[in-house]
Amino acid sequence: MRKSVNRPPTPDAGENQEKEPSVREIVNIKLIESGEKERLMELLRERLIECGWKDEMKALCRAFVKKKGRNNVTVDDLIHVITPKGRASIPDSIKAELLQRIRTFLVSAAL
Amino acid sequence: MSTGNPSYTNPKPCKHLADYKLRHGLTGYRSLQKLFKTTPNGRTSVEKPNTTMPRCNSCNGFQGRLYFCLICSTVSCSDHTLLHNQSENGHDVAVDMERAELYCCVCCDQVYDPDFDKAVMSKHIMGIPRDKNGDESIGERLVKRRRLGSGVVEEELVDLSKSKQLVSMRDRRAKSCYPLGLRGLTNLGSTCFMNSVLQALLHAPPFRNYFLSDGHNRETCRKRSVDRLCLPCDIDAIFSAVFSGDRAPYSPAQFLYSWWQYSANLANYEQQDAHEFFISVLDGIHEKESKLSNRNRDNGDCLCIAHKVFSGQLRSDVTCMTCGFTSTTDEPCVDISLDLDTNNFSPKNIANKPIKSNENSSISTLLGCLDLFTRQEKLGSDQKLHCRNCQEMRDSVKQMSIKRLPLVLCLHIKRFEHSPVRRMSRKIDRHLHFPFSLDMTPYLSSSIVRNRFGNRIFAFEGDESDISTEFEIFAVVTHSGTLESGHYVTYLRLSDQWYKCDDAWITEVDEGLVRASQCYVMFYVQKMLYHKANEDLSCLPISPRRDTFLPIAGCC
Repeated sequence: MRKSVNRPPTPDAGENQEKEPSVREIVNIKLIESGEKERLMELLRERLIECGWKDEMKALCRAFVKKKGRNNVTVDDLIHVITPKGRASIPDSIKAELLQRIRTFLVSAAL
Repeated sequence: MSTGNPSYTNPKPCKHLADYKLRHGLTGYRSLQKLFKTTPNGRTSVEKPNTTMPRCNSCNGFQGRLYFCLICSTVSCSDHTLLHNQSENGHDVAVDMERAELYCCVCCDQVYDPDFDKAVMSKHIMGIPRDKNGDESIGERLVKRRRLGSGVVEEELVDLSKSKQLVSMRDRRAKSCYPLGLRGLTNLGSTCFMNSVLQALLHAPPFRNYFLSDGHNRETCRKRSVDRLCLPCDIDAIFSAVFSGDRAPYSPAQFLYSWWQYSANLANYEQQDAHEFFISVLDGIHEKESKLSNRNRDNGDCLCIAHKVFSGQLRSDVTCMTCGFTSTTDEPCVDISLDLDTNNFSPKNIANKPIKSNENSSISTLLGCLDLFTRQEKLGSDQKLHCRNCQEMRDSVKQMSIKRLPLVLCLHIKRFEHSPVRRMSRKIDRHLHFPFSLDMTPYLSSSIVRNRFGNRIFAFEGDESDISTEFEIFAVVTHSGTLESGHYVTYLRLSDQWYKCDDAWITEVDEGLVRASQCYVMFYVQKMLYHKANEDLSCLPISPRRDTFLPIAGCC
């Protein structure tokens, strides 16, 4: 997390937020408020299905469940195991497309 | 075992969910309904009022999955759900906010409750404005699924095993004696398109039974009707001839003449399209029979034999991409025309195992074609439709599904591409893999609509269908050659033995040959009717002359 040199130390987690929000948060809020986040999510879902990524993840999940046994797996287990693999296998073209969309949005939002 | 998909039966709740239900019942779900937000794509999420971005109560994090406590509405991220649960006794069950799915904080696992899903779906259906056909709205009636009498099925299966023994005994005695009803049809001049379809009709169990049990009496018909042209009479004549026991090839000349009179524009010696012929024959039967019975019902409820056997209903859902309003239309159909699935579409087999679309899978399958037919199709921006809710032209998504299955399912593969632009027609020779047993459950409206809303445990209207979804193939009309000069051959499956019907020549063939053929129109009949038909065949008396069947060429 980037910190400005002159910034006071971050207060403890648990206190209500009064500090300056991070860039990430601001962008997120702007995306949600404008409805762009929902559109981007739909676009992402579509692309990931098209390229077969979703099917690959499904297969990975199935293999994991088969290995551990159906009654020994929780959703949390799956999330912890599959998430890193999922993030790593996203095609670059999709990353590029989404980033481009976000950049365009930020430019228009800043105006 | 009840028919229907077992994955939609209720999974057992964990101890904590059960406890929660005991103590709070449905009140938590009901108050949560106000916070549900639905999208046109069928997704539901939980939105806290007056907050753009929900945050974890413990760490203020906003990333990853966030869970909303059902009891105190506290939001926790996945790292802190346990923390909340430990600090507050009994606060075990939460809702994944992004997905509107139940989560047990103690088990650290997703849990399921049909009542919760019902609460979600009610909001969804309420959120979609009703269309004019109020009764026909998707899932409007929350109906419990009825179990079909499984006892009946089991009884029949037991009987079948007995009759199968009889058949095999008979086979040993007269091995080359073909079942009744197999008779070649002479080619009267490029009429293989007609012969191939006739062979399929002759062995469509309910169709066959109707004519063989004098469903259309020629004497009565001649007296009642002034119009001498009667396709059902001519078909009845063919049935009598083919099932007489005489094995010499039969010339359906009278029928051809009648059909020419009926469809004057197709009356020539040119090769016609077998599928077109099939549709025109059904039309001819319907027209005649509805004249006789003086009833002018629309195709859906028509009681003519053609519609009784082949008529089903297709459902078309068009969803506005802006507001989610879905307009549903039901249309009757006597067959389904399918586009071939190509590499671009990732096929799934019946167990829903994904076939990697990265591989160069050049196999087209019937299930792939059905998937293609029932997929959500984004209509192009040049095909905007008027949304009744928005009162504007909007981008829409269209999805087809099968509302009601017929007794005999006719699947037509669109192999002939006509391009009006280039004024050319071409044939697609691509091989299509097709199964002998077909379960149509995933293509029913209830399944398609259910999938559209994610996997909710929810009984949709239409689940209690009396018609089973399992089909067995009994006839395949195949085409070989080019568009201009090609040949139709039908393969018939009688008592699990395949026969090749090539105009006047009928031969026993191996199923491998059938699988390798280029299917064009496939006829599937409901499984129970298929087995019953086989039973009937084995009980029919062998022709008195006991001719051993030799493929004899008829005069052409």
